[in-house]
Amino acid sequence: MLLQIISDIGASAAISIFLALILVFAQKYLNTYGDCVVDINNKKQITVKGGNSLLNTLNDQQIYLASACGGRGSCGACKCKVAEGGGPLLPTEKPLLSPKEQQDNIRLACQVKVKSDIKIHIPESIFNIRKFVSVVESITDLTYDIKAVVFRLKEPAKIDFKAGQYVQLETKPYGKIKQTTVRAYSISSKPEDDTLVELIIRLVPEGICTTWVHNFLQVGEEVNLTGPFGDFYIRDTQADMIFIAGGSGKAPIKSMLQHLQVVGTNRKMTYFFGARTEKDLYLTELFKGFEHVFPDFQYIPVLSKCDDAGLYCARSGYIMPYIKEVLRDPQNTEAYMCGSPGMLEACRKELRNLGVPDNKIYFDSFG
Amino acid sequence: MKQTPLEEKIAARMQPGVITLSGFLGLDERHYHEIIEADESVMVAYGVSAEEIADRLEYFTTSTYESFQGPVIIDDIYEVETEITRGKLPCPFSHPGLYRKTITTLTNLNTGVTLRWTGLNIHLIRAHHFFEGKGSVFRLDPDLLIKNIF
Repeated sequence: MLLQIISDIGASAAISIFLALILVFAQKYLNTYGDCVVDINNKKQITVKGGNSLLNTLNDQQIYLASACGGRGSCGACKCKVAEGGGPLLPTEKPLLSPKEQQDNIRLACQVKVKSDIKIHIPESIFNIRKFVSVVESITDLTYDIKAVVFRLKEPAKIDFKAGQYVQLETKPYGKIKQTTVRAYSISSKPEDDTLVELIIRLVPEGICTTWVHNFLQVGEEVNLTGPFGDFYIRDTQADMIFIAGGSGKAPIKSMLQHLQVVGTNRKMTYFFGARTEKDLYLTELFKGFEHVFPDFQYIPVLSKCDDAGLYCARSGYIMPYIKEVLRDPQNTEAYMCGSPGMLEACRKELRNLGVPDNKIYFDSFG
Repeated sequence: MKQTPLEEKIAARMQPGVITLSGFLGLDERHYHEIIEADESVMVAYGVSAEEIADRLEYFTTSTYESFQGPVIIDDIYEVETEITRGKLPCPFSHPGLYRKTITTLTNLNTGVTLRWTGLNIHLIRAHHFFEGKGSVFRLDPDLLIKNIF
């Protein structure tokens, strides 16, 4: 009886193993999708070997969609419109897509497999995105928890971007970290310096990428960057401009102001920088210096904790009460904001209340 | 202990460097199921549910969301501040969605105890009754938590 049971278990196990092997074999050798045509924007057709994710397929063609999670389906950055093909929407995609996006056939490129011909639509600006090999040229402490890192571009040697856009930085394995990680950071250098990329990176508790940059990255090291991404950039108008930033949110504003310094502008500009204490202020001389560069520019640090003897205690607490002081013509004012979602939301509310049109409030939220 | 493929995946996602720098288990050698069971027994002893704890933590985080430049006093005895940094994190249990990188710090002014949690902590407690392993950077001891947030 016992022998019979053991023999039956053995037979079942053998059949299971056999079936599993057949599945593995089928997946590897029979489940090929052949050549598939990826039609991009009804303009460009590329023939690829099927079976890979749309994100990786495009990457292989040097077409880079944003992706902060390395294709794990968790960041939702690689959205694109799949007009035809691509199979049904997967449960892994739904939480990251709004009902409207689902209705409009927006998909996560990392979750869509190219198994047959597929038609997609992506913004034209994505064709400008490149993967860069760079070398770390310098690492500078700006505060106790913020560093500026300059990456000299090696291949390709030049980048074409708009002030305010961002790149993705790829970490290397370090310490207990066995895999690469990709994170997005705003470019803080100006577009005219097209052979380098400067990033301003704040150390985040438990942050995989920021810990690498702060504690492991060395001058001379090769680092991969991908970009540029994003639609946070200066609109070419004559409207007054209010910049609002906090923490490392200063990066894209620095790029914007340095760019405006090169091209020249007569626009009225005010820059509010929110920080907790004086030790959280950085690049203050640079930004105060812009008051002598532009005809109508004011740099206003607003500290939440202010020592009465401090240099920058003229305005303290929240930024919002001070916005109305500088507003000349709300309808003809644009706001550019970068920082924590709480700060942005509070400032956005105040700007709206003061009459600044919502469609003239541009922001790059940390959230 | 024999694990299902999903359990293996969850345990792998809790390791250092996968979602967060130090992972979710700290120095705890127990399986995450055992950690959850032990912490659930603490909640049962106090007669408090994971949902109630998560609701309370969320109340403090939400109340300080717009007070981005410093701590605020809530209900007269809690000094609370929430810091938001760039990016979002997924759940190690492969639960759909992403959780904003927020760190809320609460000091109970009566007891002097300071507690710290993330947006992901709130989700992990509410949906999975998971307070993280002992020694984990964002471990929340349910006993200490219950004594200090209600």
